[in-house]
Amino acid sequence: MSDAPTTAARLARNPHVGFVVFGALLMLLPVLASSGLLMTSTLMTLGFTLIYAIVAMGLNLLLGYSGLISLGTAGFMGLGAYLAAYVQDDLGLGFWVAVLAALVIPTVIGVLVGVVSLRVRSIYLAIATLTISEILLKTFEQAEWFTHGTAGKQSRYPVLFGVQADRAVVFLIIVVALVLVMMLTHNIVHGQLGRALHAMRASEVAAQAMGVNVLKYKLFAFAVATMYAGLAGALYLFFLKSSYPSTWNLFLSLNVVAMVVVGGLRSIYGTVVGAFVIFAVPELVLKRLPVIGDVSGLPYIFSGVLIIVAIMFFPQGLRGLWDIGRGLLARRRRPAEPVETVRDEVGVR
Amino acid sequence: MSDVLRVEGLSISFGGLKALDDLSFSVADTEVFGLIGPNGAGKTTVFNCITQFYRPDAGAVWFAPGAERLDRAGHHGSDAIDLVGEPVHRVIRYGLVRTFQNVEIIPELSVLDNVLIGGHVDFKASMLSQMLRLPGARKEEAQYREKAREALSFLSIDHLADQIAGGQPYGVRKRLEMARTLMAEPRLIILDEPAAGLNESETEQLADTIRQIRDRFGCSVLLVEHDMGLVMNVCDRICAISFGKFLALGTPEEIQRDVRVHEAYLGERDDD
Ligand SMILES: Nc1ncnc2c1ncn2[C@@H]1O[C@H](COP(=O)(O)OP(=O)(O)O)[C@@H](O)[C@H]1O
Ligand SMILES: [Mg+2]
Repeated sequence: MSDAPTTAARLARNPHVGFVVFGALLMLLPVLASSGLLMTSTLMTLGFTLIYAIVAMGLNLLLGYSGLISLGTAGFMGLGAYLAAYVQDDLGLGFWVAVLAALVIPTVIGVLVGVVSLRVRSIYLAIATLTISEILLKTFEQAEWFTHGTAGKQSRYPVLFGVQADRAVVFLIIVVALVLVMMLTHNIVHGQLGRALHAMRASEVAAQAMGVNVLKYKLFAFAVATMYAGLAGALYLFFLKSSYPSTWNLFLSLNVVAMVVVGGLRSIYGTVVGAFVIFAVPELVLKRLPVIGDVSGLPYIFSGVLIIVAIMFFPQGLRGLWDIGRGLLARRRRPAEPVETVRDEVGVR
Repeated sequence: MSDVLRVEGLSISFGGLKALDDLSFSVADTEVFGLIGPNGAGKTTVFNCITQFYRPDAGAVWFAPGAERLDRAGHHGSDAIDLVGEPVHRVIRYGLVRTFQNVEIIPELSVLDNVLIGGHVDFKASMLSQMLRLPGARKEEAQYREKAREALSFLSIDHLADQIAGGQPYGVRKRLEMARTLMAEPRLIILDEPAAGLNESETEQLADTIRQIRDRFGCSVLLVEHDMGLVMNVCDRICAISFGKFLALGTPEEIQRDVRVHEAYLGERDDD
């Protein structure tokens, strides 16, 4: 009589519902913190983890789906942070304009960098983004009117709909942003856009024969990745209420690469887990260990080792381990490993 | 009978090597046309010149796909146009679709998703409406999924639609590549050594499939083969080339009797 069970089943299978449930669970964390079950410092670490998950989602679209690499993530994220502070505090234009500026301006710069470098060769994107990121870092140090230089830019929690936000509210904003980014990323990769990116990564030659304008889709992937970085930068600023140039260095960009590789290329939840492993584990676990916790540069060593282990033994990252585990539980043979990509034949034999 | 494709005076060199030398031939409407020659004769190079992966040093590639497909590619009228200089990714819009000698698929995607990429140029939903999964984009996706399933069932591999393409055996991947060509409203399908790696019965099935595609879609087929078996069976006419030069043109019987063709292939055997 009723079709309620089928509707429920359909909802349960809808990945967007999964993202919302995931977000709802994350929203319990500030509640735990305010009731004293979770340390404030832990909540901060988890908030930053989610922010890094947003950036890493963009890099996954770039590296995992499109096969491109950017080494300038930190620069674009920092730009988002300073823009948010400048628009909110110096110009007094409020939260929404600040977020908009952090989304749009880095993306425009990113597209310009992409147009110049991707025309030549894909690898030039890595070089160009590395360069632009260094230029941005120098700008953050020097442009006092914009960033307050090495003394650091101080900001405050935003005002939303006339209400002054606090740490818990900003955490909720971060969760909402992450869920939206997960949904958007899911939509991108599960349709014609995603197939075009896949085709391009598998073989540019074949993708072109199928009608994919390779430059256009590379630019698209890079634009989205830059937009996520700008957004994450703004959220970072609102959460920490300050920004220092030294934060936005190459190590951060490489750490974002590590999050994607360790979490698993082309996996949305894997990216979140990757952000947790690379950022939160050193903060919450390693630094509290005796002896090891005192080693300087520990997070560097940790991400470095994990990247090497992932590349050598788990090319599918933690997502791959998850698949294996699930396969064992289900006592089912895993689908055959994808065979190596067939190379294009255009070119010298 | 009018020509779909007219290749005129195609020449290209790589360094000092003249890979194609003033080569001309034409493919008629709904014809299955074979291009044969010993290894290294320049067959793949002809394909790459037609599809604009290579820019020929001289010559023209006249293509007459009809008003509808010209319109899709942004041209008015119904006359033949010269494809030389056209960006590679735009060639498929004219209804000129190819397969690859080494089978190019996306191993991580399902068989169905691989076929869907063949319909790429016909997707009209904007990037934004796809990112937001607006109803228009979803409807279009569903419509092309249906079309892709039909293409797969035409190649008798629809039962594999949801499996990962990378794990499929070679024969299935070849069929998958063929199914993909059917997504783009083909006017001319060009197949680079489609029988390579297939056994005798698979090759016979392939010949049937090629004829069925021609009859069902009303398109022409240009196929390149090193091995004579398939071309003799399926082609209406055959052009033989050697060292990038035109050798002979005719029906399979005529080509089989042609002395120059025999010499070219014998010469190859001497090389081995
Ligand atoms: N991109 C290239 N650069 C240099 N030489 C090439 C290139 N493509 C093809 N050739 C040469 O052109 C000749 C014809 O090759 P090809 O068209 O692949 O032959 P076939 O497909 O008939 O076996 C060969 O000598 C080959 O080495
Ligand atoms: Mg060849």
